[in-house]
Amino acid sequence: MATMMRRQTRSCPFCETRVHFIDYKDDRTLGRFISDHGKILPSRLSGTCARHQRQLATAVKRARFLALLPYVRGLQG
Amino acid sequence: MLRPYEAVYIFDAGLEDAAINERLGRFHALLGNPADLKVDHWGRRQLAYQIGRKEQGYYVVARYNAEGKVLPEYERALRLEDGLIRYLLTLHDRDLGAPEMTEEQLAAANAKREEDDDDEE
Repeated sequence: MATMMRRQTRSCPFCETRVHFIDYKDDRTLGRFISDHGKILPSRLSGTCARHQRQLATAVKRARFLALLPYVRGLQG
Repeated sequence: MLRPYEAVYIFDAGLEDAAINERLGRFHALLGNPADLKVDHWGRRQLAYQIGRKEQGYYVVARYNAEGKVLPEYERALRLEDGLIRYLLTLHDRDLGAPEMTEEQLAAANAKREEDDDDEE
């Protein structure tokens, strides 16, 4: 069980590609960091560093407001 | 003090291109027609969810430097505009992002994260 619970160490995808600023208009990139229901993925799953996770959260929220990303998806009603 | 702003406008997709340009001209005149104004028309695209009864919007991104004191009048005009479904005005502060990291710093940061993860168990 302990091995299953162990968190996989991942490096931040934004740091690796040297992204300086996460653009809220880039819905394709942001789309990789939201779940099937449209929720923002936690950094423990995406491996994003704290600084980029904060930027990412703001960017996703702005993109949702601009109807580039859905607030919810995959749910009825 | 001039500050860099970025505005995203979502117009009603039913509007003619000329009507959209006329409105953009009116909005930007309220800012005093900034010299460094850059307007990028994305065109008509599907909205991720319905806004009102609308499924589509005409997206325009504008970037300019402006004085903060001209913004209230400009934003008031935006809110009163019927053909504008939604707009977002943000400071275009790209320099506030993460500082550049060298290869060594990146490796060190990753090593530290791994170490921290081990500590949690």
